[in-house]
Amino acid sequence: MGLGEGAQRRIAVVLADVLGEPLDVALAVAAFIDRYLRRVPFQAALGLRFVTWAITWLPLFFVGVPLPAHLLSTETRLRYVERWSHARFYFLREGFYLLKAIALMGWGAEPVVRARLGVGPMAAVRP
Amino acid sequence: MTDDAADFVVIGSGAAGASAALVLAEAGRDVVVLEEGPEVRDEDRGLGSHEAFMRLFRDKGTQVAMGRSVIPMLQGRCVGGTTVVNGAIVWRLPEDAYDRVFGAIGADRAVPLAALEARMDRIERDLAVSPASDRLLGGNGTTMKRGAAKLGWKAHAIRRNVVDCQGSGRCLEACPTKRKQSMERTYLPRAVGLGARILPDHEVRVVETSAARAVAVSGRRSDGSPFRVAARRGIVLAASAIQSPCILLRSGLGPRRHVGAHFRAHPGTAVAGVYREPVRLWEGATQSFEVDEFRSQGFKMEVVGLPVDLAGVRLPGLGADFQRSMADFPNMAVWGVQVRAEAEGHVAPAGDGARITYTPSRADMLVFRHGVRRLAELHFAAGAIRVYPGVHGGPEVLTSPDELPLLDALPLDPRDWSLISSHLFSTCRMGRTADDGVVGFDGAVHGVRGLWALDASILPTNLGVNPQHTIMALAMLLAERIAVA
Repeated sequence: MGLGEGAQRRIAVVLADVLGEPLDVALAVAAFIDRYLRRVPFQAALGLRFVTWAITWLPLFFVGVPLPAHLLSTETRLRYVERWSHARFYFLREGFYLLKAIALMGWGAEPVVRARLGVGPMAAVRP
Repeated sequence: MTDDAADFVVIGSGAAGASAALVLAEAGRDVVVLEEGPEVRDEDRGLGSHEAFMRLFRDKGTQVAMGRSVIPMLQGRCVGGTTVVNGAIVWRLPEDAYDRVFGAIGADRAVPLAALEARMDRIERDLAVSPASDRLLGGNGTTMKRGAAKLGWKAHAIRRNVVDCQGSGRCLEACPTKRKQSMERTYLPRAVGLGARILPDHEVRVVETSAARAVAVSGRRSDGSPFRVAARRGIVLAASAIQSPCILLRSGLGPRRHVGAHFRAHPGTAVAGVYREPVRLWEGATQSFEVDEFRSQGFKMEVVGLPVDLAGVRLPGLGADFQRSMADFPNMAVWGVQVRAEAEGHVAPAGDGARITYTPSRADMLVFRHGVRRLAELHFAAGAIRVYPGVHGGPEVLTSPDELPLLDALPLDPRDWSLISSHLFSTCRMGRTADDGVVGFDGAVHGVRGLWALDASILPTNLGVNPQHTIMALAMLLAERIAVA
């Protein structure tokens, strides 16, 4: 199970707003999520894939706009994601944090991000 | 069909399995260690949290306990087990914990504290255990030390099993410089030197019996092919508090009402503080300093050198706000509170893995609330300018110690908290008879001859301190007796 190219492009637009990163970094993070989905056990992949789908396609139920998340205005999209992150319903809120957690693993591995934070390259240290 | 045979078959190569294998090999026994996970290669080390999860953790880091909330349960799954991916913390079992764990079930004569301490002495010599030096405290540990000194709290450098640690802050990714004295670097090679055989990628599914005696194990290799290994003298179960009960349940062995029941843990959560000066979480030992002031109240505090990707998950803010939060990362200290929870859960096989059910009790959540308040207090005492408690429904950020009372109203619903655990216990707990537990005071599974469990699953309850040392000492003590039985 993975994320098709279209799904990657759609969720990348959302991730760019969540992470405050340019779209090229967000696309790299979306590609990371695709690779992650292909490696983890099916049940975990299914959960994350469902969250990715839901965050992409459910703005109608959160902000009342009948458009997918990547087509919202930036302002509306941020309001939409904010509602996921503060949702009263536990599984919605945790769904957002699950996506954020996995996205951050891809984000934290990006050389441009690591250089900006001064944390050095990801490559292993050797004796 | 039997692929191999040995005097003793040891299931699992972590703290317990490696210790037992070494002791049995030292006694001249022919030993085979079966490990479900892969060998740890040099190229698997220090590759970041994601690759560590993928290569070295059970279920690629996705194992969780389900209950009122979802709690990640992290375990190593590789040769060396969780010792490969833990913080290298070595805690001698304190007398008060011993009394609560072994004394309370009347096991103090069968498992005397002095006998455990003698094995701990040996382990500390073998694994070069010593307190983290000032150089290895890093900014994270130095900052906690400063706060604890200001508040007058009992605190100390963490005692660690390392040799010439380079302070690369990557203990949780398998030490990239191989300085951590984890089992794949120490006891397993020593056991091999004495003739033991380690078979990675061998998952034991079932213990086979004949006339109520354990005689063999069978399972599958990572390529899916089946295997069977016969045991001439006995089988040692050391597959962890999650896998050991699952193997027993799949095999139909042990007192059914106790196997997998009584699951206990040390759930934990983290609080981040931002300082005016650089902290640089990624420098120094991953876990170098701790506060022991509140252990009698059911919790302890430790520094946790999280990588940038894990540290950012619960920080508030989206977009530009998130970027501002993460720009503070170089100046951020992250400390955890770890709770000796009273809640009991349950473990059972489910499909190819395990189903863990667990919900911290209200009393546990009160301890968490108190612990987070104390952690925030410690951050401010150390000079933090902002503190992020990370609890949904509470304040996102505190900017002054005057705001600390806000934390006294933190919600007590586990769903509002971001909890995690890697210390797992008691699913095959020790008890005098089959009415009390799964194994006797000698580790023998009630109702089966030639089958012992020696890992964290047999501890009667959770310890309240980091368990690797106690697990190893107990496995060593009981394996010495098994070797001559």
